[in-house]
Amino acid sequence: MTIVYEALAKIGFMFALIMGMVVVLIWMERKGAAYIQDRTGPNRAAILGVRLAGLVHPVADVFKLLFKEDVTPTNRHRALYNLAPWLVMTVALSTYAVIPFGDFLTVAGRRIPLVVADLDVGMLYILAVASLGTYGVVLAGWAANNKFTFLGGLRATAQMISYEINMGLALLGLMLVFGSLRVTDITAGQGALLWGFIPMWGVVVQPLGFLLFITTVYAETNRNPFDLPEGESEIVAGYHLEYSSMKFALFFMAEYAHMVIGAALISTLYFGGYQVPWLPRPALESHAGLLLTGTLIFTLVMSLLIAFAFLRRASRERGKFQDARDREPGLGAGLWLIIGLAAAAGLTRQPWAVGSAGAEVFASLAQVGVFLFKLVFFAWLFIWVRWTLPRFRYDQLMNLGWKVMLPLGVANLLVTALVMAVV
Amino acid sequence: MEGLLFWFCGSLLLLGGVMMVVQRSAVVSALWLVFAFLSAAGIFAVLGGTFLAVMQVLVYAGAIMVLFLFVIMMLQGPVMDGERRLMHPALWPLIAAPPAAVLIMLAGFLRGDRMVGFAGAPAPGFGSVVQVATLLLGRYLLAFELISIILLVALIGALAVGRGERKLPWK
Repeated sequence: MTIVYEALAKIGFMFALIMGMVVVLIWMERKGAAYIQDRTGPNRAAILGVRLAGLVHPVADVFKLLFKEDVTPTNRHRALYNLAPWLVMTVALSTYAVIPFGDFLTVAGRRIPLVVADLDVGMLYILAVASLGTYGVVLAGWAANNKFTFLGGLRATAQMISYEINMGLALLGLMLVFGSLRVTDITAGQGALLWGFIPMWGVVVQPLGFLLFITTVYAETNRNPFDLPEGESEIVAGYHLEYSSMKFALFFMAEYAHMVIGAALISTLYFGGYQVPWLPRPALESHAGLLLTGTLIFTLVMSLLIAFAFLRRASRERGKFQDARDREPGLGAGLWLIIGLAAAAGLTRQPWAVGSAGAEVFASLAQVGVFLFKLVFFAWLFIWVRWTLPRFRYDQLMNLGWKVMLPLGVANLLVTALVMAVV
Repeated sequence: MEGLLFWFCGSLLLLGGVMMVVQRSAVVSALWLVFAFLSAAGIFAVLGGTFLAVMQVLVYAGAIMVLFLFVIMMLQGPVMDGERRLMHPALWPLIAAPPAAVLIMLAGFLRGDRMVGFAGAPAPGFGSVVQVATLLLGRYLLAFELISIILLVALIGALAVGRGERKLPWK
C-alpha cells in the first residue's frame, strides 16, 4: 500500500504544481505582455483594497468563469461538444507522469524516486500523449458546428501532424546521445561534465536538436507564432469560439498547462532537469552545510533589501490614494520581513553543521528547487516569444515544418549517429 | 491484479469494437475505434509490452486515426437530420453476441488455468525496445526495408490516382 500512497502523493504534488503554475502564468502573461507593450497591466481587482500587483486577477477570472452563463450552440453534437474540453485538459495533464521533478527523496529509510511513472519508453510516451492532443482540439472545432471553429480544428490537425514528426526527429538525436528511452536516464546523464568543465546538458550536445525541439513545442502549444488554430484576426477564436463559461476555462487552462509541460520538457531534456550545474548529488550532500548557510544568508539579505525598498515606497507615497491601497507597500514590506526573519531563525540553528539526514533532504529540495527555477524561466520564455513575434502565415508554417525543419532534423540525426559511431 | 486489468481492458476493447460498428455517425465511429486502440494498448501494457503499448497509441491512435478523422470530418457535419440509423437498436445484441460468446468461452477455458497467459510468462526483456529493434533491424531487415518500399509505391500510386494522369509532375 505504501507504493500507492507514494504514487498518490506524487500525482497530487504534480497536479498542485501545474494548477499553481497555471494561475501564476496567467498573471505572468498579462504583466509580461503589458511590460513588453510599455503599459502597466492588470491593476484593478483587489481583495479588501489590496491588489497584490495584479495577482488577484486570476481569482477574479475563476469566479467570473464559474458563474457565467454556459451558452451553447443549438446544432452542436452534444456528446462530443461536452467531451472535447475534458479531453484537452486530460491530455494536457498526463504528460507529467514521466517527467522527473527531482532525483529521489529518502523518507523513513525508503528511497522514493521523484517521478510518477519511470517508464522505460518514457520518451515515446511523451510523443504518444502529444499526438493524442489533437483530438480535443479537432473535436471541439467539429462538434460546435461552426465554420470558424471547424477551420480552427482543421488547422490544428494539419499543424500538429506536421510538427509531431519534427518533434520525434529532434528527440531521436537526444535518445542516441544518451542511449536510452527512459526520461530519468537522460536527466541523470546530463549531470556529467563534458571535457571536465561543461555540464553535459542536452542543449550542449544537441544544439540543433534543441532549436528544432523548442520550435515544435511552441507549435504544439498552439501559441504565437503558431496560433493559427485560434487566429483571432482570421477565424475569430478558432476551435474554442463556441465555448463559454467553465468549458472555455478548460481550454484556457489547458493552454497554460501545455506551456508548463513544454517548459518542463525543455528543461528536463535539454537543460539538465533537476541537475544543479557542477554540483552532482554527492557534492550537494557533502557540502550541504555550506550551501544551506549560503542560501539562508542570501535569502536574508535579499528579503531585507526588498523590504527596505517597500518601506521607502511606503514613506514616499504616504496618503497617495487615500484608501486601502495605501496599505500595499506596508504589506509587501511585512511579507518580505517575515521571509527574512524565517531565514534569520534558520541561521541561528547552526545550518553549517547539518546532519546527514538533513543533508539528504536539503539535496533533494535543492534539486526540486532548481527544476522549478528552470521551469519558470522557460514558461516565461513562452510569454516572451508570444509578445515578440508575429503570427506565421499558413504557407509559411507548412514550409517551415516540411521544407526547413524536416531536412534539418534528418541531417541532425545523421550527423549525431555518425559522431556516435566514430567516437 | 493483472488478470483483473486484462479483463477490464479486454471488455473495453470489445465495447469499443461493437460501438464502432453500430454508430451512425462516421466521426463517432472513428472515435470508438480510437477507444478500442487505446484499450488494446492497455492489454499490451498489462502483458508487459510497454513498447508495443506506446507504439499502438503513437501510431494508430495518434497518427493514423487523426488523419482518418481529418478526412471524415471534411465530408460530414456534426448534425445529420433525416439520416437513417445504420441498424435498428434491437439488432445490436446480434452484433454483440459473437464476441461475447468468445469471451465467455475464453473465461471458461481459462478458469482452470491461470487468468492470463496462454503460453506461460514471457521471458524478461520480451517486447523491450532493444529486442524489437534487434529483430527488426537484424533478422527481419530485408522484410522491414521491403515494407518501406511498398509504402513508398503506395504513396506514389495514391498521388497518381489523386491528381489524374495529365497533372503528374513527370508528365
